[in-house]
Amino acid sequence: MAAQGRRIWPVVGDPMRRNPSRAARPRPAEPGLERFMWYFMRISGVLLLLLALGHMVIMHVLVALTGQEINFAFVTSRWGSPFWRIYDLLLLLLAMIHGVNGARIVIGDYVARGGLRGLLVGILLAAAFVWLLLGILVVATFDPNTAKFVGPFS
Amino acid sequence: MFGYRISWAQLAWFGHRLSGIGVLVYLFMHILENATLAFGPDVYNFTQTLFRNLPVRLGEILLMSALVYHSLNGLRVIVMDFWPSTTRWYRPLTYGVIIATIVAMIPMGLIMITPYAPWHRI
Repeated sequence: MAAQGRRIWPVVGDPMRRNPSRAARPRPAEPGLERFMWYFMRISGVLLLLLALGHMVIMHVLVALTGQEINFAFVTSRWGSPFWRIYDLLLLLLAMIHGVNGARIVIGDYVARGGLRGLLVGILLAAAFVWLLLGILVVATFDPNTAKFVGPFS
Repeated sequence: MFGYRISWAQLAWFGHRLSGIGVLVYLFMHILENATLAFGPDVYNFTQTLFRNLPVRLGEILLMSALVYHSLNGLRVIVMDFWPSTTRWYRPLTYGVIIATIVAMIPMGLIMITPYAPWHRI
């Protein structure tokens, strides 16, 4: 077969099972959780491109440009609007699932299938669950009027 | 470092993993830092003062670079996975991702470093 352009991956079998990007896994052949996550990483990736980069540009570039500083009053005014709370909740949820699934795949590539891999992935999932719950709780329940009565420092 | 001649493909792949893990570690820290909001303005405002110095700002610029690279390279992965014919532009696309990351980081890095730079408030 004549070479077409600069093919960098053997073009055999089901076209969707090739790994053209070579930066990720080929699409899992069987339907199931692994294939669902393959699609989830790509769809959440596009959403995170807007959400995460938007968040970083607002918080680090625009805040620096306008000479503002991030403090309790800044957060109170920002989370006074449901738009930014939903934005932040969506960003938190997608970033955590996307990031933890990525880390799980990286662990899977370096640690052989077995007890140690199970343990590491178990710790990762448990930590992600606790942190996600904490994050959702903070974003969803933040109330500047009651916040100061909760803490041990005030 | 790798024991053999590395290609741009391997470097792009390795960078994608490294930046992804870096951003995930930051996310865990960021959630903890934001949880101090529940303790009221005094505690939260104190926490924020810990983040207002040059080393942290340099870390934030690194974080921004990691996120920009991961986003652009991820977009390239998506395009090549769903439209396999684009693999013939593998090299231009990979170089494009690296160049676009550097080009985007020049103005953003300058803006972010300005409060700590000698040219600030001249």
